[in-house]
Amino acid sequence: MIELVKKDLKLFFGNKQDMLLTLVLPIIFITLFSFVFGKLGQPGKGNSGAIVHVVAGTSVMMLLFSVAGIGGSLIDEKQDGMLKKLLCSPIHPNEILFGKIIFANIISLIQLIIMFIFAWLAFGLDILHHLAPLLLMILSTAWACSSFGIVLASFARTRQQVQGLSTIVVLVMSAIGGSMIPIFLMPKILQDVAVISVNYWGIQGFYDIFLRLLPITDTDFLLRVLALLLIGTSLNFLAFQMFKRNIRRIT
Amino acid sequence: MIHVSNLKMSFNTVEALKGISFSISQGECYGLLGPNGAGKTTTISILSTILKASEGEVSIAGNDLGKDPLKCKKNIGVVTQEIALYNELSAYDNLLFWGSMYHVPKKELAGRLEETVDMLGLTDRQHDKVKTYSGGMKRRINIASALLHRPGILFMDEPTVGIDPQSRNLIFEVVEKLHKEGMTIIYTTHYMEEAERLCDRIGILDDGEIVAQGTLSELKASKSMKESVVISFTNLTDEAYNTLAKKWKDLQRFDDTIHFYSMNVQGELAKIILTCNECGLDFRHIDIQKINLETIFLSLTGKTLRD
Repeated sequence: MIELVKKDLKLFFGNKQDMLLTLVLPIIFITLFSFVFGKLGQPGKGNSGAIVHVVAGTSVMMLLFSVAGIGGSLIDEKQDGMLKKLLCSPIHPNEILFGKIIFANIISLIQLIIMFIFAWLAFGLDILHHLAPLLLMILSTAWACSSFGIVLASFARTRQQVQGLSTIVVLVMSAIGGSMIPIFLMPKILQDVAVISVNYWGIQGFYDIFLRLLPITDTDFLLRVLALLLIGTSLNFLAFQMFKRNIRRIT
Repeated sequence: MIHVSNLKMSFNTVEALKGISFSISQGECYGLLGPNGAGKTTTISILSTILKASEGEVSIAGNDLGKDPLKCKKNIGVVTQEIALYNELSAYDNLLFWGSMYHVPKKELAGRLEETVDMLGLTDRQHDKVKTYSGGMKRRINIASALLHRPGILFMDEPTVGIDPQSRNLIFEVVEKLHKEGMTIIYTTHYMEEAERLCDRIGILDDGEIVAQGTLSELKASKSMKESVVISFTNLTDEAYNTLAKKWKDLQRFDDTIHFYSMNVQGELAKIILTCNECGLDFRHIDIQKINLETIFLSLTGKTLRD
């Protein structure tokens, strides 16, 4: 399984386009949104509500797009015959999906860490005083988001389906989950619906750290971490079922 | 080495395999010959554990495929019909990956990789990205990736589809070398000349059934095959054909062409030509058809391999 992860990392870091989309594009969006929403690209405004919202909301949304692409690579491997060849090798078929999940988690972690380091350097977001809760929230958000990408791919049959499906689902989740507009500005009914979105739990967790200044031991904060971990675990469980029924079926 | 008994496979309502059985001894090269859709790839997919058979038993090197697929997998190398390589990686990195997937010890992997790449004539280009390779080179790397763990059994599913003659010859040489070294090989193809050249025994698969199997000479003998002289005429009429049919019993007409069948075409060629002259027929083209797998297949199934 480690070999599968190493191979995916080698392919990722050898592909300039993937690197650009995953690591550079989110930075561009964060910068752009920060300037657009209230001229916030000034040092010293780090922990303002708008900056925290832009960094958290954009990071989670862009992460969901990235992991959908990673999930799509599973479909590519099936279409190229790689999956067939992997299934011939002496590994348990589930290791193939495990490898993809680990890879998606590594990329998600890298992407989120880079986003927050960028926000610290560019906008002065105070990450240094919140390292422990930030790391916990990054880990749980990465787990939930990466499982979302994998499960999306396990439902689709072609790369085009993954792209179409992921664009719609990510945009809807981002809209209702508070990536685009802060949740408190939304009507009550949308605020209630927001809990079904991964974005909601991630963004609220980052609000807890930087706006509400909750400690890592706070129950509300830990409940959000738990929610993200449960979402991730459930989606990964579903992905394994779908992988067996859909992806692994080669005719 | 490999025993397949009453293997059946259905995809929804389609019966892809209708209970095929065959055995392959150690060191044998067994050819599965058949047109597209005959069931060759399905057979290979079941033997290489990608598909689970609907019915039947398979044992590979003494291991029951249904009960212990992992043990079976360790003994086999699979050259899939698709070129399954990562285009963005070099051939070397691709092989390194496949070697490690088959748990080749790290100490040995570099040596084996060098040896395999050399055997397939790709030493000079091994560090180039696969996407810069020609189709033939990719096919050779595809084969190399199945050999690194030194399997006792090799499944090759149409390994020469869509490649240049030079690469095809190189692949033939590699298969012959591996066969000589004692590897057991199952080779599927719809090119009869490949099966004739490479395989000790051949199973002819049609519509999910093995319609005949044996060595080439056994197959020839089993059908009491006749050779034929095929002549196209410029002025063939029904009347002329009826006159010919009275003089030559074993013949068949296809438009302006007649197939004259005989156990000894060479000896009777002059007589056939003389008979045609007597009927006032003018020749456009004459061809002698010896017995080969194509004619055997035609006589067994009533269709050509390209159908």
